[in-house]
Amino acid sequence: MRLPPEIRDCEPPPILGRWRNMNIVVLAWLAFLILLFYAFTQYFS
Amino acid sequence: MTPLDWFVMIATVIAIPSFGLWRGRGSKTVNQYLLAGKTMPWYAMGLSIMATQASAITFIATTGQAYVDGMRFVQFYFGLPIAMVILSATAVPIFHRSGVYTAYEYLERRFDGKTRALAAVVFLIQRGMAVGLAIYAPAIVMSVIFGWPDRITTLLIGIVCVMYTTTGGIPAVTWTDVMQMSIIFSGLILGLITVVSLMPHGVSFTDAVYLAGTVGKLNAVDLHFDPNNRYNLWSGLIGGSFLALGYFGCDQSQVQRYLTGKSVAQSRIGLLFNAMAKVPMQFFILFVGAMVFVFYLFIQPPMLFERAAMKQISSQPEYAELQRSFDNAWQRRKAAAEEVNAARKSEDETRVRASVEQYRAADNDLDAARRNGARLYEKTSGASGFNDTNYIFLSFVTRYFPAGIVGLVIAVIFTAAMSSSSGELNSLAAVSVMDLYRRHFRPEASDRHYLMISRIFTALWGAWAVIFAQFAKNLGSLVEAVNWVGSFFYPVLLGVFILAFFFQRVRGSAAFWAMLAGEASILACFFFTNIAFLWYNVIGTVIVVVFGALFSIKSGREKRISAII
Repeated sequence: MRLPPEIRDCEPPPILGRWRNMNIVVLAWLAFLILLFYAFTQYFS
Repeated sequence: MTPLDWFVMIATVIAIPSFGLWRGRGSKTVNQYLLAGKTMPWYAMGLSIMATQASAITFIATTGQAYVDGMRFVQFYFGLPIAMVILSATAVPIFHRSGVYTAYEYLERRFDGKTRALAAVVFLIQRGMAVGLAIYAPAIVMSVIFGWPDRITTLLIGIVCVMYTTTGGIPAVTWTDVMQMSIIFSGLILGLITVVSLMPHGVSFTDAVYLAGTVGKLNAVDLHFDPNNRYNLWSGLIGGSFLALGYFGCDQSQVQRYLTGKSVAQSRIGLLFNAMAKVPMQFFILFVGAMVFVFYLFIQPPMLFERAAMKQISSQPEYAELQRSFDNAWQRRKAAAEEVNAARKSEDETRVRASVEQYRAADNDLDAARRNGARLYEKTSGASGFNDTNYIFLSFVTRYFPAGIVGLVIAVIFTAAMSSSSGELNSLAAVSVMDLYRRHFRPEASDRHYLMISRIFTALWGAWAVIFAQFAKNLGSLVEAVNWVGSFFYPVLLGVFILAFFFQRVRGSAAFWAMLAGEASILACFFFTNIAFLWYNVIGTVIVVVFGALFSIKSGREKRISAII
């Protein structure tokens, strides 16, 4: 399994410089939401 | 509905699609009609992708789902951001650079004609059923407001959707979605403020949240792993990721949206925007449903929310007794809920614990009384599997929301339904024309001819959607039904695209037979196991990938084929 180089060399995002940074922000946001919802569930149950 | 509601509803329903048609005017070629000439900015794509999912079903069924089953459905969306990250880095640049009209056109370039045809047919079956459900949802609105039978309203809405779609094309659909999402966000915020402000005197927002949580309505995250449990963190993260990968990566109704982007980067940003906004939005919608539940702790709800069903059982001899037992159960639950509030304020732990137990028991009794009402309806109507989840929120809105806001909420539901259905009809037409008609019947016709045929196919798919919608009523919660249908077909599409992107030695025949093996495994899961449907996405995809790789062992020394072709 490997991605072609044309995809890895894709044009950069308008913010954060690299696509990897954009992806990290999105996944960190997901982790934060899950933790928040879990705390919400525990607190009100 | 007051005259003000009618005015707000009609003005909104006319204004939003008109704006879309105006912004999207001038679709004179197939490329403009199906891909908007690749001119869309990221925010239009991102909002359009969100709006397609935020159909009428989202408002009608998701809120009802929270009322009945709590907020655990939000876990279903946890896999979506993961899928968006993967797709923005793979599918978006691959499809963009391949210059295709449809995702399945790419499969022919990578594999062969029969794999493309099979994938296109799988898509047409799946999306053809889903569009039927999407058209059925607003018919519920008309039924609740006017008391009209579902069949007539489904037909009326189907006709309106087809007329709108055939004239608009994808540019009109996308710009309509952009406007629609701003109305949806406003409607949601207004909805929550209204629900909370309707709570009786003495019940604060914190009290309401506590009362919902006590009976498990705020169960947003469940860490317990159980493959037979439909919604928990693991089924959401793993099964939900696979379903979202299938939906956004292989479903033409979504692929078509990001193929309209000005550039690869614009399309990628559009998807990542959706990844960040979708989960909070779903949480918010479910929370509104949970607050509707709390409202009905203090104001008596009808035994059944579907007005026609209620009318039917009220003429039965058993009805009076059932209604009496429902009234009593509700009175007990109301008293128990008030006692919970009072106990919490007294800060007496023993009293709080005792009152909570009473409250939970009373809630179970009320549920049982409601189920008896549903059974009476099933007995008198001869229908099985009665489910009025989809009527709960609308019934609440039309009874208790102030004038003007009712019209706005109904308008949001209408435009959402029209927009998402029109996008789906447009993608069904695109696949029918590009992957079947042009590929197998008229490969050399003029652009004008294909544009005309695209419009004809849009109308034909609209007719099919109306017919299928007649059967949607007995599928339970619509939002679950849509995802349930998707879980039968997306895994094989996802599996074949994984083979195409990442397994460079796999050839057409191996991919074709692997797809059939994957679909057989999903049917086997459905007929012979109790595995929850979200896991079908994982099982089907893995089977396609493993079989595709196995069938290609003999071609191990063949030349690698790049994903971009």
